Amino acid sequence: MNSQLSAILSQLREPLFAGLATSAFSVLFGLHSADVILASGGSALGWAVLQAMPASGSPAFATFFAALAAGFYAEIAARVRRRPATLYMIASIIPLVPGSGMYYTMLSSLEGNTFRSVELGLSTIMTAFAIAAGLAISNAFARMAFSSTVQGILKKKKIFKNPDKH
Amino acid sequence: MQSEDLLLFAADASRLMLESGGETYRAEYTAMGIIVSQGGTEAECFATSTGLMLSFSGEDGKVRSVVRRIKRHGMNLEKVYRIDNMVRHLLLGDIDIEEAARQLDEVERMQDRPTWVRMIASAFGAGWFSLLFKGKTVDALTAAAMGALLSILIYEFQRLKLPGFLSSFAGGAFAALASLVAAYAGLSINTDAVIIGVIMLLVPGVAITNAIRDTIAGDLIAGLARGVDAVITAAAISAGAGGAYALWHLLLSGGQA
Repeated sequence: MNSQLSAILSQLREPLFAGLATSAFSVLFGLHSADVILASGGSALGWAVLQAMPASGSPAFATFFAALAAGFYAEIAARVRRRPATLYMIASIIPLVPGSGMYYTMLSSLEGNTFRSVELGLSTIMTAFAIAAGLAISNAFARMAFSSTVQGILKKKKIFKNPDKH
Repeated sequence: MQSEDLLLFAADASRLMLESGGETYRAEYTAMGIIVSQGGTEAECFATSTGLMLSFSGEDGKVRSVVRRIKRHGMNLEKVYRIDNMVRHLLLGDIDIEEAARQLDEVERMQDRPTWVRMIASAFGAGWFSLLFKGKTVDALTAAAMGALLSILIYEFQRLKLPGFLSSFAGGAFAALASLVAAYAGLSINTDAVIIGVIMLLVPGVAITNAIRDTIAGDLIAGLARGVDAVITAAAISAGAGGAYALWHLLLSGGQA
């Protein structure tokens, strides 16, 4: 029983760190009280999904599902708080984004290790792509369900005198 | 509001949106939304991370346009929310254009977080990231102390209006040197775990992801501009860190290597 509990706790360790790191970064990104907590929850969720993915699969694949989960979470948080989803998205993908990948890519290239730099560079771009795709898909679903955004209102208004041209 | 004033107001709102880290399409819709809410037609906005163009046709049928350059790049999501909210209420008719102008002015005057708050947040950010990347408690504490120092360094560089490349270079050099010195001074730290925690404060991970998000959304030029910016920043950080490593080993070996 006790070992089961500690196994669960050790599973929660990394998502907790991810959430706490995100809370610090969301303060740097200008978010306020309740938004900081919401964004941290999203990043913990994203990291938990990443952790739950099978280790044998491709890292970009796992990142995609993590970003998808964080994206849906951000969209829901955005409707609840009536704020743009990007507030929660940008903050909750912070632990997922390939910042260290970009750094190591450039570092290996400077060290003259071209092969490793290409390898790292490709995986960095794949990761960034996976995150962007996850966010784009969750955003597309959210836009089907709600249209209270500036974009949604604008689509209903007459912007052009001759709309057929556009 | 005169058509000319409306044009400048919409361009300013869009510029502020881009400067605060809003998405490219959101900046474009901001300008178009303000113009449409005041009865302008044919509103079109083309934004990238370095500048924006906006034009529309006023009630008199004349077409007006303006160009704005964007030189500041920051991340202040509260500003993104405030501007977005202002445009939404303007479109829904909840507020008039004078009230909107007052609100935009308020957003423009919003101060960034005070230095000590940024210091504490940077310390926590670096520390938790160091733990997340398999660091131990001592690594996290070292990273936290360096993160706090680094935030002061970045702030001073921004105050002196040094180019972004230079401050990233110095930041990378600082992170590498500080952790090497700490290890040399006898702290039993894993320098990799410390450096990666500290460097998370500098690396353009969000920038490269936003670049690809822009590209997927069809804003190809904006995506390219952001992507190039991210690559240059990463190159500057690693050049700084790599240079610091090389210098350190040269000093330790007494120039024999």
